Formats: sequence, structure tokens, C-alpha cells
Amino acid sequence: MLKAIWDNIKGLYSLLVGLSITGRYLVSPRKTIHYPRQVVDDEILASFRGPLELTRGRKEPGQTRCISCQMCVRACPGHCLTVIKGDAKAPSRWIYDFSLCCLCGACVEACPAGALAFSHKVYLVATSREELKLDLLADLKARTEKEAPPKNE
Amino acid sequence: MTGCFNFINPLAVTEEPGTTAGDFYTRNFEKKAVPGRIILNLGPQHPSTHGVLRILCEMDGEYIVRCEPVLGYLHRMHEKMGEVKTPWQFIPNMGRVDYLHPLAWTWAFVGACERLAGIEIPERAEYLRVISCELNRISSHLLWWGAFVMDLGGVTPILYAFEEREKINDILQIITGSRLTMSSFRFGGVCTDADERFKSLAKEFIPYLRERLKMYKGLVTDNIILRRRLEGIGPMDADICRRYGATGPILRAAGLARDTRKDFPYSVYHKFDFPVPAGPANDCFGRYLVRLSEIEASLMIVEQALASLPEGSHIMEKAPKANWKLPAGESYMAVEGARGQVAVHVVSDGGPKPYRVKLRAPGFSNLSLFAEAAAGTLLADAIAILGSLDLVIPEVDR
Ligand code: SF4
Ligand code: SF4
Repeated sequence: MLKAIWDNIKGLYSLLVGLSITGRYLVSPRKTIHYPRQVVDDEILASFRGPLELTRGRKEPGQTRCISCQMCVRACPGHCLTVIKGDAKAPSRWIYDFSLCCLCGACVEACPAGALAFSHKVYLVATSREELKLDLLADLKARTEKEAPPKNE
Repeated sequence: MTGCFNFINPLAVTEEPGTTAGDFYTRNFEKKAVPGRIILNLGPQHPSTHGVLRILCEMDGEYIVRCEPVLGYLHRMHEKMGEVKTPWQFIPNMGRVDYLHPLAWTWAFVGACERLAGIEIPERAEYLRVISCELNRISSHLLWWGAFVMDLGGVTPILYAFEEREKINDILQIITGSRLTMSSFRFGGVCTDADERFKSLAKEFIPYLRERLKMYKGLVTDNIILRRRLEGIGPMDADICRRYGATGPILRAAGLARDTRKDFPYSVYHKFDFPVPAGPANDCFGRYLVRLSEIEASLMIVEQALASLPEGSHIMEKAPKANWKLPAGESYMAVEGARGQVAVHVVSDGGPKPYRVKLRAPGFSNLSLFAEAAAGTLLADAIAILGSLDLVIPEVDR
């Protein structure tokens, strides 16, 4: 009998302990980040693997390093890549279907020219599958123009 | 409790035995309705089934007379996909089999292929695998902890668990590049080397989580409501575990200190000193305690591995590429996942693609105990038992 009462008192005390922990949380600062009013630090995003992008050429930042060797196309488990060879070695079309990509990195590791890298875009949104077929050459061009506007010599 | 009531179709009674007509109940339980019993379908979209598990229960009032899990709602042909992709291309699949402890699966597959090809990986890579796999185990147990308490009606703890989980994700993202379906192990090493930021974040995390575990104890473990709901519920002794091939925390809660990391040491686990928690009770609460002690054991491993992380390369030179062919033969590798023994059996005929890939999911064996353990319990207790099994349905169905 006494033991039962003691157990109940201990039980009630355990509830108070729990309540005090949640109470402390209630008054502590918010831990979550309210997108889109706030965004995550770039430092955390730096290691995030987002959709692929073409890296810049070593000499010409606006040119791709891709030599249209098709190694990435063959390595990809999801068949997301289409590289169409243009004149010379450089590709004329570089289509990447992000809707099929599992971000595995097979293409990045297979590329002999180091022409591919993961971007850190976490806010990519699309409303249809077609929009997720990304033209990476156009993306590379847009990035180059944004970062280094054409110089007037 | 949500769910839909299926009264038995009286027409099904006339079916010949052995035909596939009728529903699951008439084929497996009883040919006609039993007066006073109702059939309750738990799932497949019930939140406490953690995925799409359907459990068919025959109820007498609040008590379960018989029940049977119905599987296959999330079957994704992973084993078949192993036969149509090159070994390299199959690695990302392994991250998707069990989304809570993907690195154990990746390790089992990569390890089996490495064994077959006789590849030795650099020591630093082994350490990085151990660290990332153990951190991943912690995050898996944390999510289980939150989800389990949520099944029992306490919604707050899962939010706290996610705070730690996000921290682990931040750490693991540095070396795996992803936050959920990590599959960063490669044949011959791991894909990214650990940098200073990784090491310092991981080192900070260990004392932090130890502090938080004390808070967990005050908030949940000592809570009288939780204890009264779990203590003595769903005992599973060593015998039933052996009969169904249960592994992992369920087996250890039954008092058998069996752990693949100790019994069949792989990688560099033999270099670390860590306990294998077993016991003290084989009920739901015992399984709860075992998992919490496992978090501490994993923290010990991570701490030791970080302190002795050797220098060197994270991947061997000339690591196999996407078109790498497995040599002919077969190999098997078992690793300790968060839910039990994860194993992969690879058979190759020397062609570009494996001949057969067999995945051994611990959740599948653990789930088969459920029908026996839940018979005769209250429905609410059955939910507690189900939660204490720590099921990940994608892994069960593969
Ligand atoms: S990351 Fe993987 S799935 Fe995506 S394009 Fe590259 S190889 Fe294909
Ligand atoms: S592997 Fe590299 S160089 Fe070859 S086609 Fe792909 S991106 Fe271009």
C-alpha cells in the first residue's frame, strides 16, 4: 500500500520533470529556420550535392571542359544525360534530366576531363517534368555572364 | 484508431480451397465470418505503421485474436535491379533500401563486391566508413526514438530528436553529400575525404549528444506514462527470436549479446572498445533501453575512431569505375545495421552485371515475429509492439 502511494508520487514527479523540460523549450529561442524569410547558411550548403553543373574551362571561363567522350552518359544509372557532339570536340547540346537523377556521382567521377560538378542549388523548383530537363550549356553561359559581365575592351 | 472495417463477403465461403479468389482473410484465416469478431485492417496508410505496412487483425472487442502482416505495398525490385545494372550503378540503390540506415546497406554491398574482387581499401577509408556508419546508426535510432514515442501518443519528443538528427545530417553531409539516402561508399574507399570542419563538428557533437541523452531520460525514459505502457508488454524471448531469425536490438533485448560487429568483425571494428548492450528485459521497454544504450556505444566508437583517424588517402588508387566488372564467383557480407544484421550476397559470372544480388533485410525477419507476439494483446499494445520492432517498410519489402 505504502509502496503504491510512493510509486504514484514518483510517477507524478516524473511528469513534472518532463513538463519542466518542455517548458524550458517553450521559452528558449526558436531552432528552426523560416524559409523563405530566412535561409540556411552557405557554409552548410557548400557540401550539399544539388543538380549537376558544368565546370568552367581552365583557360576560357565561359567554355566547358567537356570533350563529348560520353563516359558520363554510359556511367549514369538513371540515363539522365544526353551529350551531343558538335564540331570539334566540344558538345553542341548538353541535356541533363534532373527528374531522373539520383545524385549518385557516377558521372562526376567518370568524367576524364573534370567537366562536371555538383551545384549547391537547394531551391530549385519546377512545376512540370519538362522544366527539369536542364540545358547545362545555357546554364554555364548564364553563370558566366552573371559573374563576369562581358568586358568592353 | 483509424482503419476500415471489412465485413467478410459471405460469397467467399463457397470458394474451393486452393483458389486465389476471396480476400486475404478468407484465404488464410477463416472461410466464413465468426460471430462476435470483426476484421480490422491496420494500414496500409496508417501513420503508426511507418510506411505502407498493412496488418490484418481479427479482433474480439479490443483484443487481437489473430493478426498477420500483409507485405508488398512498397516492393521496388531492388534485387532485380541489381541484375540489370553494373555493380557501380547499383550503389545508389543501396541508399534507398533502408532510408534510415543507408550506409549499412551500402557497406554490405560494397563490402561483398570488394571481398569478391579481393580489394584492400586504405585504412583511412575504413575509419571514415566506421565513423559515418555509426553516426548514421545514431540518427536512425534517434528517429526511431521519436517515432516510437509518437506512436504511443507523445508528439513532442520527435521534434527534439530531429534537432539532433539535423546536426548529424549536417556532419554527414560533408562526407556523403546528401542528407537522407547517403550512399557515399565506393569500391576501394569513400567518395569524399573528411576535412577539418567535419572533424571538429563531429567532436563537438559527441559531448553534446551525451548531454541530450540525459534530457531524454528525464523527458521520456522516466516518464511514468511511458513505463506503464511499455513494461511487460510484448515479451519476446530468445526462443522466438531464434525461430524467426530476429537480429539486432530485439535479439539483444532478449538477453543474447549478439552483434555482427563483435561476432564477425569486419573493417576495423576489432580496434575499438565498445559494449554490446543486452537485456535487461525482453519487453517493449527493454528494447527501448537497448537502443538508447546503443546510441552511447556508437558514440564511444565515433570518439575512438576520430581520435585515431589515420592519415592517408580516402580512396585507393585506380579505384574501380562505373564499367568495372566483378570477377566470377560469389561472396557474402554481413554488417550490423540499426535494425539488425544487414547482409548482401553477390553472385557474379564474370559479366558486366552481377548474376544475382540477394539482400537480407533484418526488418523482414523482425516483422515476422509480430503475428505471434501480438496475438492476445490489446490493439493499443500491438501498436507499441510494432513500434518497438523499429520497422522500415521499404527495407522489409525491398
Ligand atoms: S549523379 Fe548519377 S544519376 Fe545523376 S546524372 Fe550523374 S550519374 Fe546520372
Ligand atoms: S564524361 Fe565529361 S568529357 Fe565526357 S561527355 Fe561527359 S562531361 Fe563531357
